[in-house]
Amino acid sequence: VKNSEGLQKIIAILEEICPGVDYNNSQTLVDHQIIDSFAILSLVAELQEEFDVYITPMQIKPANFNSAQALWNMVERLQAGGK
Amino acid sequence: MSFVSLKFVIFLLVAVIGFYSIPKRWQWAWLLAFSYVYYAAAGLKMVPFLLFSTLVSYSAGIWMDRIKNNQVEEDQIQRKKRYILLITLILNFGMLVVMKYTNFAVANLNFLFGSHFSFQALLLPLGISFYTFQSAGYIIDVYWEKFEAEKNFFRFALFVSFFPQLLQGPIGRFDKLAHQLYEEHSLDWSRMERSLQRILWGFFKKMVVADNAARFVDEVFARNNFPKYSGTFILVAILGYSIQLYGDFSGGMDIVKGVALLFGIELDENFKRPYFATSLADFWHRWHITLGTWMKDYVFYPISLSKTMNRFGKFTRKVFGKNIGRAIPIGLANLIVFFLVGVWHGANWKYIVYGLFHGSIIAISGMMMLTTRKWKSKLHIPDISISWRVFQIARTFLLVNISWYFDRADDLNHAFALLNKTVTDFHISDLWNGKFLLYGVTRITPEYYYVVLFACLTLFVVSYTQEKGIHLGERIRSKPIVLRFAIYLILLYALPALGTLSSSSGGFIYAQF
Repeated sequence: VKNSEGLQKIIAILEEICPGVDYNNSQTLVDHQIIDSFAILSLVAELQEEFDVYITPMQIKPANFNSAQALWNMVERLQAGGK
Repeated sequence: MSFVSLKFVIFLLVAVIGFYSIPKRWQWAWLLAFSYVYYAAAGLKMVPFLLFSTLVSYSAGIWMDRIKNNQVEEDQIQRKKRYILLITLILNFGMLVVMKYTNFAVANLNFLFGSHFSFQALLLPLGISFYTFQSAGYIIDVYWEKFEAEKNFFRFALFVSFFPQLLQGPIGRFDKLAHQLYEEHSLDWSRMERSLQRILWGFFKKMVVADNAARFVDEVFARNNFPKYSGTFILVAILGYSIQLYGDFSGGMDIVKGVALLFGIELDENFKRPYFATSLADFWHRWHITLGTWMKDYVFYPISLSKTMNRFGKFTRKVFGKNIGRAIPIGLANLIVFFLVGVWHGANWKYIVYGLFHGSIIAISGMMMLTTRKWKSKLHIPDISISWRVFQIARTFLLVNISWYFDRADDLNHAFALLNKTVTDFHISDLWNGKFLLYGVTRITPEYYYVVLFACLTLFVVSYTQEKGIHLGERIRSKPIVLRFAIYLILLYALPALGTLSSSSGGFIYAQF
């Protein structure tokens, strides 16, 4: 999956779970509590299914969830077998 | 040694003067010595429990790091580390469970099987719920390789035992707290003033707000007394309890934070104006924050992301469809977390009901999130509307107050009896017919209500300005020295003049957990 394609997919998932947020530009989704823990886990379930990755509690940190780009970077890292 | 005692003031003075007088490299050791003296003063018998928890977590951390550095196979490393984690958690929480819940378990078994086992009431080491959680958080983080284990046993012992937070939190995280404890600190007068402000404000909340409110609350809620009072009294008492509990716990936290700051150490915030919360989930982002984040990071996420829950999630999505199916496992994990939050508060069914009450409402509202959003859009209710926000705050406050019945009552029956009386025996005229003046029983006079009202109003104004992003402390610090010290002196004089000195264990509600 290309960078832009993956990013768009993630933005679509975010829109579905928590609509009405500017996901193209927001960099503080967790820091400003735009997405809460329920939304984070819904997102994880979708990401696991869509991209066939396994997300562990270690990956649940603001740095990975603060923006759509950070989410896509995490997915790419996990697909490559990283932590 | 209660914070509200001359003994503690002297202890603190010696600790602070010594801390800035000795060579800086020994400051952490000085804090360790004072932390153990403080804990030993509360009861020598409790020290071995603190040492046990420290030793177990310290050894496990070192062991895990050794395995990580000596083994080659990733699978083997993970398996061995998992065993160590499991053993450590069993030992740590096993101690907590035995000390805190054995009596409760025996009583319930006797009830279930009609047996008559008796069990000697065990000693409950003070602060055990806090330091066990702090140590357990550390060891899980080492397991997750968030940081390397602390090599120096005595430094680690300070992380577990740092005296200001030892008895009632906040539950600290190693990566945020430990380095501050080990760093060298120079005396900084502006920081000392900030500490003093925080301590004074904490004492105001504790002595003037909480302990005053407690006089009325304790009188009305007492098991032998409440039948003689109408539902109106009980309603006012529960509102009083919401003020008391907030003043007591958050005031205690202000003192804890202020005392830690005297040594240059910034502890995590445990409160963020909880009664301005717009939902119960928001309430837990503002009330006892460090317990909530601990539960979220070490219980909620690990359970929700476990392979079993993953499989269960796939099943529920297949059966109930994408949206509901996705929310069910999250709701279930949330219920487990709030069951544990309830149990954490104490070995009593009333706390379990308290936890599950919060947990089930949060789980249901989480599951209904999308439906609620649709309804709001159909009814054209904007998120930023002030009336909607006020409605949300009032609704949350009501729900929180219902849960306080379970927190405050002696047991479940008592809680239901109080709730029942509030609803079925409510007479609004009691508010102005003079019945509230309980002269004979607790010297509750018109002056008493003026003091409590003044204290609540002060608390509300300060909280409201903080909520609006105005830092009153900073503003006061920017004023001329005479004016600001006049404010501090007024606060200092207000404490004995308006406050009540709590007679019940001389201490704080949360220090009993």
